[in-house]
Amino acid sequence: MSAAPTLPVEQPPGAWALLVNGIVHENPVFRLALSLCPAVAVTTTVANGIILGIAVLAVQVLSSVTVTLARNAIHPRVRIPVYTIIIAVWVSAIDMALAAFAPALYAQVGLYVKLIVAFAIIISRLEVFASRQPLVPTFFDGLGMGLGFLVALVLIGAVRELLGAGALLGFTVLPVRPLLFFALPAGGFFTIALLMAFFQYLERRGGGKPRAASAGGGHHG
Amino acid sequence: MADRRRPVFPPGAQALVPVLLLVLGLVFVPRLAPPVRAASAPTLKARVQPPDRVRLTFDAPVTDLAPGNFRVAEASAPDAPLTVSAVEPAAHGVTLVLASPLRRTARYDVRVADPPLRTVAAPALWMILVSVFLSSALIQNFVFTRYLGLCIFFGVSKKVGTSVGMGITFTAVMIATAAFAWVMDTWVLRPMHLGFLQVLVFIGAVACVVQFLDTMLRKTHPVLHKSFGVYLVLITTNCIILAVPLLNAQGQVSFAEAMALALGSGSGFALALFLMSCARERLELARVPQAFQGLPIAFALAGLFALAFMGFSGLDFFR
Amino acid sequence: MSELVHIDGVPRERPSPAEVARIAFNLTVVCLLGGVVLGGVYVGTERIEAAGRLAGERRALGELLSLREGEPLLVVEQSLDAAHDAVVYRASTWGDEHGAAREQAFTLDGTPRSSAPGEVRTLTPLGRMFVAGTPAAPRGFVLEGESRGYKNRIRFFVALDAQFTVCGVRVLEHEEDPGLGAEVATRAFLGQYLGRDSASIARLDVTRDPLPEDWRAALAALANTEPGPWQQAHAALLARESAQPVHAVTGATISSRALTSGVKRTIEHFRRRWALVRPWLEGTS
Repeated sequence: MSAAPTLPVEQPPGAWALLVNGIVHENPVFRLALSLCPAVAVTTTVANGIILGIAVLAVQVLSSVTVTLARNAIHPRVRIPVYTIIIAVWVSAIDMALAAFAPALYAQVGLYVKLIVAFAIIISRLEVFASRQPLVPTFFDGLGMGLGFLVALVLIGAVRELLGAGALLGFTVLPVRPLLFFALPAGGFFTIALLMAFFQYLERRGGGKPRAASAGGGHHG
Repeated sequence: MADRRRPVFPPGAQALVPVLLLVLGLVFVPRLAPPVRAASAPTLKARVQPPDRVRLTFDAPVTDLAPGNFRVAEASAPDAPLTVSAVEPAAHGVTLVLASPLRRTARYDVRVADPPLRTVAAPALWMILVSVFLSSALIQNFVFTRYLGLCIFFGVSKKVGTSVGMGITFTAVMIATAAFAWVMDTWVLRPMHLGFLQVLVFIGAVACVVQFLDTMLRKTHPVLHKSFGVYLVLITTNCIILAVPLLNAQGQVSFAEAMALALGSGSGFALALFLMSCARERLELARVPQAFQGLPIAFALAGLFALAFMGFSGLDFFR
Repeated sequence: MSELVHIDGVPRERPSPAEVARIAFNLTVVCLLGGVVLGGVYVGTERIEAAGRLAGERRALGELLSLREGEPLLVVEQSLDAAHDAVVYRASTWGDEHGAAREQAFTLDGTPRSSAPGEVRTLTPLGRMFVAGTPAAPRGFVLEGESRGYKNRIRFFVALDAQFTVCGVRVLEHEEDPGLGAEVATRAFLGQYLGRDSASIARLDVTRDPLPEDWRAALAALANTEPGPWQQAHAALLARESAQPVHAVTGATISSRALTSGVKRTIEHFRRRWALVRPWLEGTS
């Protein structure tokens, strides 16, 4: 995978660098092109994006912390099954918590919250980072990745809600609905296409080397 | 160490696998058929003939052909009978004409007062299965309208050959997983009120099936394993596989419907992969603006396909 | 895509028994711990979820029936008995789960049937009805109904006044597409049901014709006004439109039809069942 994260193992970077890395340089959605399903599926409104983003953030941080604390007790041979179980447990827990505390929002994203268990982004962070690093950097790495995901979802959700319904966070901000198309299934694909192209454009203008997106991306999940 | 690698099973054990499948089939197939009533009792069969007719066949002597002798109601509200406006004699039975239109997909509770007979007019099993299949493959295509499995979708849709292999592997795993998960959900989780373990059990089911298929293929068909094995390992981290059992559990469907959903979703995914890979092979030759190269243009392409698939949304053969 | 390919696929040495035991122990501990964590979370959240659902329903009921704080509400649960030969009605006061509940079964043609005590029954729920006021002088009703929408079931409440005229519809649960089918849950669409009496409901149908301009403007205003004052302000328009079919949401005819037929069926079943249970409720309350 061309976009395989290449953080030095010996010397973990500082907390701020890890956060920025997750949000900007290795943004799970726009840069690593991982875990795209919910990015298109639930982002018809900002609120949906926020709730799923928070769920992913919580699952990522909790599983990263669990794995890093238990990393010496986990037998390397059954590493992946154990990670999967850990993720599944946290996903179920978050799922139940959301159903209890935010039932109205949960009703719209329920299926996709359960599907977080199959997100490649989470298990790949466990494998490449949490299993090798101490608690503090792992926590910030998980936080950064989760925030990156949250930011991406909110961004996509904002574009789609504004263009599709003329509203933001449920409040009408435009007198009309500019393009209903963006609220529809197909609109999600176009939104991501446009946003990705925009970031790629910025990067080329900035003289940076094109990364994952132009190479076709990494892709599991 | 290679010479120490012996098959896990004794050689004859492989022959047991088809036997095992057969036994499973024999256990399940009878469950698909509706329960049979006592053989000696007079029988009544009813079939809905849209728009407003119900065809009854019976082997009992029904002499009273007044509309009042027959009672038709929706199975979901049997206490609210529909008005039978006329009864027309027909071969081995009668045809009831109702005052209001009937739906082909609904279940109706049909009774005769004298002699006391009752039955349920339900759509034929094949109709349900075909409509579940079509709905999951086309109308609610996993990739284009439910947005599932996107990462794999964009990852492997660059070459037609790969995408076909992936589609086949996926469909097979989906069916196996859905069967396993259905059994677990219906016979273990729901009776014991362990619904909160759903995700854990289903992801376990996926992992088990993938592992099992991987081992099986490697031991029995090394050539097949060589060409499909690489996709198998990608499957565990894919939401599309997990979504099928979750959807089945949500709808609490029958085993046959669960299988139809798995087959339909798998075929729909394979179709989406095939279409996309064909288009992307052409894209290689196209001049794409720099900013759009790579994934962005692939997303736009998927958006176009999704638009096209919206055209299926009114499709319904049996409504 | 290398880092996830560790699951299997490479020939490995067979592990020693001690190692197998360690692996098994490892997995068992993880599963047990996971089970314990999940069980704990489940026990912790289940009650909150149930309480939240009840509070949400109560709020919806209060708004639909304009209930005063603490006003009693009669809940009648309807279910079908195992043999599908009778409908069992169970009446209780809202919020008083352990209070006196009375139960009565009626056969399909409406004759009361006594149920043997201690009988093991598997009942199929047929939804609930909520009655404000007393059975003798009801002030209003809310009926719970559901219908199969485009994607999944649509669950809704229909509120009727004492004359069985619709005074509110609220969609509680749906999974229709945002921008298309989800529009049927908006106040503007649901406003089309307001003020329809039994005769209008009996003829209720869906049309794909566009909304007349004045009716569209009136429905759009419903987003910011309460149904009661709105109905008074648009009485003439309502009188004209309640003879017309419901106008489907553009691009979501299936969802519109599903909800409309569900509302129609729910009201028709209710009228039949209410005639049956009203004397019983009056006699026992």
